[in-house]
Amino acid sequence: MFRVDPLANPEPLIRRVYAYVAYRIGDGPDAEDITSETFERALRYKKSYDSRKGEPVAWLIGIARRCIEGRPPNLEISSEHYETADRGDLEDDALRRIVLSGAVGRLEERDRELIALRYGADLTARQIAELHDSKTNAIEVALHRALGRLRAQMEEDDESPPAVRKSQAGR
Amino acid sequence: MRSWRRKRESTGLEAELRANRPEPSRELLYKLEARVREDGRRSRAGSFRIAFAGALAGGVLAALASVGGLAYATTGVGQAVEKATRVVHKHGVTTLHKSAARSQYSKPKAKCPKGKKRVRGTCKKVKKARGVNFRRPPFTG
Repeated sequence: MFRVDPLANPEPLIRRVYAYVAYRIGDGPDAEDITSETFERALRYKKSYDSRKGEPVAWLIGIARRCIEGRPPNLEISSEHYETADRGDLEDDALRRIVLSGAVGRLEERDRELIALRYGADLTARQIAELHDSKTNAIEVALHRALGRLRAQMEEDDESPPAVRKSQAGR
Repeated sequence: MRSWRRKRESTGLEAELRANRPEPSRELLYKLEARVREDGRRSRAGSFRIAFAGALAGGVLAALASVGGLAYATTGVGQAVEKATRVVHKHGVTTLHKSAARSQYSKPKAKCPKGKKRVRGTCKKVKKARGVNFRRPPFTG
């Protein structure tokens, strides 16, 4: 029987894993390190991949999750890892990205994880349920709630100036 | 400036999250892609070598089989093994367990106790003889 190579088309996989990691811990060098580590581990344990258990991206996200969990405690996630900037001199798109990134960063760990899996790694609710060992319906409900909290966070950000936000995040 | 805020209703926010997905730097993308492809090439080369060796061995066997070479080789190996066994095998001293001398001068067998007689090597109890003129008593009804 022929073995399927999970990394046969690496580019979209790298993008999805990076997006997941960046939504989890913030865009930047830490996310790049975690992504590199994920792919190193994936190459090392490529033979353990079983196509019957799921798609390559789900397998890689599982590895990335373990990499994030296994990080040293001094690399704890904080909202400072997420992009923050003065709104005055930015274009709409860039501003949107920064506001979104900041709001995701201020979410609770579980909400951030769900959003990272759904919109970063682009996994379906069913795939997320398999990863979390729970029901698809429960994941859909949790995602809906997480989106609600994110929306509230973004509306709050619109109303309060960046300086106030920074002090709130520090608390 | 604030027009994008209107799009933030359920699906709008989802689309926004997808559209503004963090992207890896080109350097990271290039580096990781190269690393993965290099590993794939290396493992493919390894499996190609194994497949080539297997195919070559299969081809040789098939060619031999077509001209009866396999039977010839099997016979040759069988004969070689037989010869080797004959050379290596050690012959011990042959002892005869049954000979005229042995039968003549063998150790005398122990006498059977009184009332017993040797039957086929073992001592057995001898039944009392009934006598030549023994007859059953006549039937008297």
